[in-house]
Amino acid sequence: MVAEDPPLAAPASGVARSDGRVRFYLTNEFGLALLIVLFASVFYALTPGFLSAFNLFALGRIAAVNILIGFSMMAVIVTGGLNLAIGAIGACAAMACGWMIEGLGLPWPLAVFAGLALGAALGLVNGWAVVVTGLHSFIITLATMSIFFGAMIFLTRAESFRVLPQVFSDFGRMKLAVVVSPLFLVALGAGAALMLLYRLTVTGREMLAAGARPEAAELSGIRVGRMVMLCHALSGLLAAVAAMLVIARNGAAIPSMAGQLGQDWLLPAFLGPVLGGTLLTGGKVSVTGTLLGALLVTMLINGLLLQQVGEFWIQTVLGLLLLLAVFLDRARRGYLAHRGLA
Amino acid sequence: MRLLGRIARTDWFGPLVITLVAVTVIGGLSPAFLSSFNIRVLLQAIAVNALIALSQMIIIAIGQMNLSVGAIGGLAAIGFAGMMEVWGLPAPLAAAAALGIGLAAGLVNGAIIAWTGISAFVITLATLSIFKGINLGITEAQPFYGVPAGVKAFGNAVLIGPLPMVAVPAALAAVAIWVTLARLHIGRAILATGGNPHAAELSGISVPGTVVAAHALSGLLAAGAGVLLVARLQIGQPSIGDDWLILSFAAPVIGGAILAGGHVSVAGTLLGVAIVAIITQALVLFDIDPFLVQVVLGCLILGAVGLNRLREVRLGRGALLPS
Repeated sequence: MVAEDPPLAAPASGVARSDGRVRFYLTNEFGLALLIVLFASVFYALTPGFLSAFNLFALGRIAAVNILIGFSMMAVIVTGGLNLAIGAIGACAAMACGWMIEGLGLPWPLAVFAGLALGAALGLVNGWAVVVTGLHSFIITLATMSIFFGAMIFLTRAESFRVLPQVFSDFGRMKLAVVVSPLFLVALGAGAALMLLYRLTVTGREMLAAGARPEAAELSGIRVGRMVMLCHALSGLLAAVAAMLVIARNGAAIPSMAGQLGQDWLLPAFLGPVLGGTLLTGGKVSVTGTLLGALLVTMLINGLLLQQVGEFWIQTVLGLLLLLAVFLDRARRGYLAHRGLA
Repeated sequence: MRLLGRIARTDWFGPLVITLVAVTVIGGLSPAFLSSFNIRVLLQAIAVNALIALSQMIIIAIGQMNLSVGAIGGLAAIGFAGMMEVWGLPAPLAAAAALGIGLAAGLVNGAIIAWTGISAFVITLATLSIFKGINLGITEAQPFYGVPAGVKAFGNAVLIGPLPMVAVPAALAAVAIWVTLARLHIGRAILATGGNPHAAELSGISVPGTVVAAHALSGLLAAGAGVLLVARLQIGQPSIGDDWLILSFAAPVIGGAILAGGHVSVAGTLLGVAIVAIITQALVLFDIDPFLVQVVLGCLILGAVGLNRLREVRLGRGALLPS
C-alpha cells in the first residue's frame, strides 16, 4: 500500500478537495520548494552576489554531486537498509578511472565506463554479503567501507592521478546558457531515470515492494534477495557517477576526495533523502524530494559561507538541519495520521 | 569435560585463543615484539582503544548504535586541553569537566532518541556532525599545544614494569562496566532492553530511562578515551576521534557482541581490542603496508559477525533440543 501512493497526490473530488490541498501543502516537496525560495530570497537580500551567474554556476556544480550522493543512499534506503560505503565506493571508482587513463592509457570513455562498472560491482558485493549473511547492511557496509577504502589507498599509494585528458576539466568548466553546469544536467538526468524506474518499470515497483514488506513481496513472487542486491548495485553505480562528476570538477582523481574512508559523503548522503521524505524503514521513495533536499543543503552551505559564517561551524548547522528534518517529518506524519490522511 | 565445554562456548574463549596464538607466532618471528618497550606501547594503545570499544559496546547492548563516539571523544579531548591551556584549570578539574562534557553529550543523544523514538543511527549521525562542528568551531582545526607537564608525564609514566599508567583508568572502567552489566540493576536493565524492549517494559523496566542511561555511560567512556589520548599524544588534537568508528565496532563484535542487542561481553571486547592492536603492530613490525590496516580491520569485522551469526544459529537450534 505504501508503495502505491505517488508523493504528489492531486485533489480527487469535492469532498476530498480540502484534505487533498492540506496534504499537498504538507508534502516534503512543497515544503522544500518553499524553503529554497525563502532562503534564496534571504541570501539574495543579504548578499546580492548570491544570485550572480558565477555563484549559480558554482552552486549547480556542487549540488550535482550532492544530489547524486543522495540518490545513491536513497537507492538502498528503499530496501530499509543503508550504505555507509558510498564515499569509499566513489573514491574507488574515481581512482580506478584515473589509473586506467594514466596507468593503462585507455581512452577516457572506456575508463569512465569501467569506473562506473566498478562502482556497481562493489555495490553488488555489498548487496550479496547482506543477502547471504542475513545481517543488517549497517555492519556489512561499515566493514566493506574499511576494506574498499583500505585496498584503494594500498593500491594507489594514496597518490592522485592529475594528468587526465582535458575533456574532464572542460566538462567541469562548461557553461550552458551562461549559468547552467552540465554536471547539474547529469544529476537531473539521473533523477529522471530513477523516477521512471520507480514509477513505470516492474523492477522499480518490485524494489519498493521488497522494501515495504519483504515477506509479503516474497509471497507474491518477488525475489527479495535479488532485489536487495540490485538496489545495492544501483547505489554503487550512482556513487560512481557522483565520483566521475567530482573528477570533472577537480580535473583530477584524488584519493581523499570523500575524506577519510569516504566519511565526508555520509552526512550529505542522508540529508537529501531524509529531508526529501524517503522513509528510512524502506518501501517509499521521493526522487524529487531527495533532489530538492540536496539542493536546499547545498544552497544553505553556500549561502552561509557567503555570509562569512565560519566554515568550521557549517558542520554543526548541517547536523542541526538533519535533526530538525527528522523532527519535522515525524510531526508532519503524526499530523497526517491524526487527520486520517496518511 | 563439562567445564571445558562450557569454557569453549564462552564469548571470550575464541578471542583469547587467537590472542595467545598471535602473540606466540609474532613473538617467535620477531623477538622485538615481546620487548618491554613494545609491550608498553601496545598496552598504551589497548588502554585508550578499550574505552572507545566499551563506549560502543554499551550502546550495542541496548541494540542501537552510536556513530558519535569519536565526535564526543574529540570534543572532550579538546575541551580538556583547551580548559588547561586557555583557562589555566588544574588537570584533575579539567579532566572532570571533560568527562562532564562527554556525559552531557551522551545524555543529549539518549534523551533525543528516547523522546522521539527516531532511529539511533540518524540521531547520532546528526549529533556526530554537531559535536564535530563545535569542536572545529572552537579550535578552527588548530591543536592546543599547552598541555601541562604533569599530564604529559602521566601519559608516559609506567606503574610497574611495562604496565603504563594510562592502563589504570581503562582497567578500572572495564571492571566497573563488567560489574554494572553483571550485577547492578541498571546493567541488567540495559541487557534486558537490548534483548527484548517489549518484555523489558512489561517487567517494569523503564525503557526510555535505560536508553538515556546507556547513552550517558557511552558518552562518559568516549570522553575518558579522549582525555587519555590527550595525555598520550601530549597535544589537544581536534582530529582526535575521527578514526574511532571502525575500531569501536570491530572490538565488541570480535568479542561476541550481538548487534541486535542484549548480549555483550566485556572480556571479549577487551580481547577484541587486543587482537586489533596486535595485528596493527604486527603489520608495522613486519614492514607490511600500514595502509592495509583498514582492509584487515574490515575483514575482521566481517569474519567476526559471520562467526557470531553462525554461533547464534547453533545456539538457537541447541536450545530447542531436550536437555
